[in-house]
Amino acid sequence: MQQEATAGLRAAAARMNRPARRSEGRYALPAFFFLFFLFVVPLSSLLLRSVTDPVPGLGNYAQLLTDQTYGKVLFNTFAVAGIVTIVSLALGYPVAWLLVLLPSRVARWLFAILLLSMWTNLVARTYAWLVLLQRTGVINRALMSLGLTDHPIPLVNNLIGVTIGMTYIMLPFVIFPLQTRLAAIDPAIMQVAAISGARPTQVFFRVLLPLSLPGIYAGGLMVFVMALGYYVTPAMLGGTSGMMLAELIGVQVQSLLNWGLGSAAAFILLSVTLALYALYVRSVGFGQVR
Amino acid sequence: MLLSLNRMGPGRFGLYAIGILVAAFLLLPIVFIAALSFGSSRWLAFPPPGWTLQWYEEFFADSRWIDAILVSIRVGAAVMAASILLGLPASFALVRGRFRGRELLRAFFIGPMIVPLIILAIALYGLFLHIGLNGTFIGFVAGHLVIALPFSIICISNALESFDESIEKAAIICGATPAQAIWRITLPSIRMGIFAGALFSFLASWDEVVVGIFMASPDMQTLPVRMWNTLRNDLSPVIAAVSTLLILVTIAILAVVMLVQKKRAR
Repeated sequence: MQQEATAGLRAAAARMNRPARRSEGRYALPAFFFLFFLFVVPLSSLLLRSVTDPVPGLGNYAQLLTDQTYGKVLFNTFAVAGIVTIVSLALGYPVAWLLVLLPSRVARWLFAILLLSMWTNLVARTYAWLVLLQRTGVINRALMSLGLTDHPIPLVNNLIGVTIGMTYIMLPFVIFPLQTRLAAIDPAIMQVAAISGARPTQVFFRVLLPLSLPGIYAGGLMVFVMALGYYVTPAMLGGTSGMMLAELIGVQVQSLLNWGLGSAAAFILLSVTLALYALYVRSVGFGQVR
Repeated sequence: MLLSLNRMGPGRFGLYAIGILVAAFLLLPIVFIAALSFGSSRWLAFPPPGWTLQWYEEFFADSRWIDAILVSIRVGAAVMAASILLGLPASFALVRGRFRGRELLRAFFIGPMIVPLIILAIALYGLFLHIGLNGTFIGFVAGHLVIALPFSIICISNALESFDESIEKAAIICGATPAQAIWRITLPSIRMGIFAGALFSFLASWDEVVVGIFMASPDMQTLPVRMWNTLRNDLSPVIAAVSTLLILVTIAILAVVMLVQKKRAR
């Protein structure tokens, strides 16, 4: 009887420690092949096209980096991404701070508003801004009735519109990482600073701000990278004068059928994105990326 | 002292002010579009001259809008199912497997989250032009699945990591076969992760527009793509009605998620 039980246990132990452990990687094969054929292959053929279409060589890249029209698009892209990042951080930091400080009853409402704006359909939100910002829109009418201006300011179909729309979309993406970072700071550290005689502004600039730098860095980098490659909002709010890189790629491929130039622009964008993403991973640690 | 509102001094009023300002900024387009959808002005004047349900009537009477919703739901459901079917075994491999290159594989699986959507969109567009998948159901599902799969893998492998494997071993010692143990012990234990993965996969597909813009054909487009294409022609108030319906759906989903969290916290 006992022998039987021991034998059963031994068999169970054998099943658990079976050497097949190593081969569990094979369960990843379906997903791997799917992504291989629908992610790696199309991206590789795009890279190939950028150096072969219409003629072999680096002509497409040279044209992108030297032609003034494309230069302006590149400049727009980086300028908007930079401004959006700075404004989002400036507005997002106090909000993240409030989320940590407010009683949870109030903070929950603020969270709900953030989540609502983040989860609302992207086209719907961008459409709302298009209507709000147009010449006869509410914002212009409000500005005029306040006497701040006597004629409608062009707020849309240019970089101002893109900046407002993008900041709106990116705010949650800086607030959430900053909130996590600020919540992790030990309040005792600031008490010590205060007891040691520091004024509140000194405590802020010399203790709280430096301690929250990893969050600022991570959130800012994230927003910058996302803003560089955004398509919908710039395409809808930017018009022709405010064109950004993602829209340039779309137009070249879909309307002009200029695959070579479009692919080359895509690869410039991809390289910058990957380089900045590597920086991001280094700044937050790989474990945090997931 | 800077981590307590009461002891912060007058600085806290500055914080309150920015908080209220940002909250208003975030709510402005949502409230505004909802108000406009009931306004009677075709030119989106605000405040509107009168109130009407006309735009909702136009929306529900137009079979093209209803078709777009049905396409979105069908594509989303297929993406949800496929991303669990591919993501579940892949997560087991990532969490439990002991093989070389596992970390590399993990990075590879979240790759589609990093690549800007426009690049993915034109890459798939180029591929699908060759094999004739543009404007087809399969094309939409495949394209959206590339975006959704990382979400499902992240959700499921997180759940799997926090599941104590010794419970599964205990089941095996008690006589269950490994397959039985996984089916009756492990999968039920990580079901919240699977549900989350499914929900995010559906939402990723439901909200996706960039890949869709390139893939769509006149008779096959998802709801966001149809909104986008309509907006190219005019700023019709019908879009405001569609947007408001989508906002209501978002609020409903958020409410459910918060209720579930509240219930689990208790």
